[in-house]
Amino acid sequence: MDLKDQRGVETDVYQPAEDSELLAESACDHLGKRTRDRPDTTVLEVGTGSGYVASRVADETNARVIASDLNPHAVGQARREGVEAVRADLVSPFADGAFDAVLFNPPYLPTDPDNEWDDWMEYALSGGEDGRAVIDPFLASVGRVLDPDGVVYLLVSSLTGVDEVVEHAGEAGFSAVAIADESFPFETLTVLTLLQ
Amino acid sequence: MKESLLDILRCPLDKHELELENATYADTDGDTDAAEVVSGELVCTDCGEHYPIDDGIPNLLPPDMREESPA
Repeated sequence: MDLKDQRGVETDVYQPAEDSELLAESACDHLGKRTRDRPDTTVLEVGTGSGYVASRVADETNARVIASDLNPHAVGQARREGVEAVRADLVSPFADGAFDAVLFNPPYLPTDPDNEWDDWMEYALSGGEDGRAVIDPFLASVGRVLDPDGVVYLLVSSLTGVDEVVEHAGEAGFSAVAIADESFPFETLTVLTLLQ
Repeated sequence: MKESLLDILRCPLDKHELELENATYADTDGDTDAAEVVSGELVCTDCGEHYPIDDGIPNLLPPDMREESPA
């Protein structure tokens, strides 16, 4: 059974799951406190998928939320959720220092190249052989679009390795602090905040 | 997309500012702050690359990634 079968029949857009919920919950809570006295906060969610996390942040904080995804079906669904959507590769089409916060629930499942499949769900789930095929380029580029006082909320699974991600974040100039975690039978999910 | 999004969008290739061309707007009863761009193009002020806006969503993938789509 491959990953697609495990996740059910959806092949176009990753639908909200436990990881989305944990990221939405902890980021809303943390960001709500940070932005309470700052009326013009701008937030980016990278790889928004269904738009669930972005619309939660828009509803529960006073921030303006922009959502981006590589997948045309995903940005369509996010826009129907009422979120401002942009089709983009990670943070490449955004201005320097534009965001007070960037959220990302990345594709993180380590995947044998021989077992990769070829639909939008692969882009949403597969993190390549080490699980960091998308996380590492994100860490290398996100600093540019972040305000100097800005914060990154990154969801990481024990399947990818939290210590390895923290180490790579450090190499990209970030200090990482875990603000939430939750255990499931096959993985533990952690939300990291990254500060420059 | 809201026209105000232009302030934070840049050309993915060279990070220069973008200009809106051939825009059509949704009917917002003359409320210009809410101006919603439904279609049009974003054009890089430096390299001249065009990025389409379809169904209100700007496609700012670099040109070499635009056609790359599974299934």
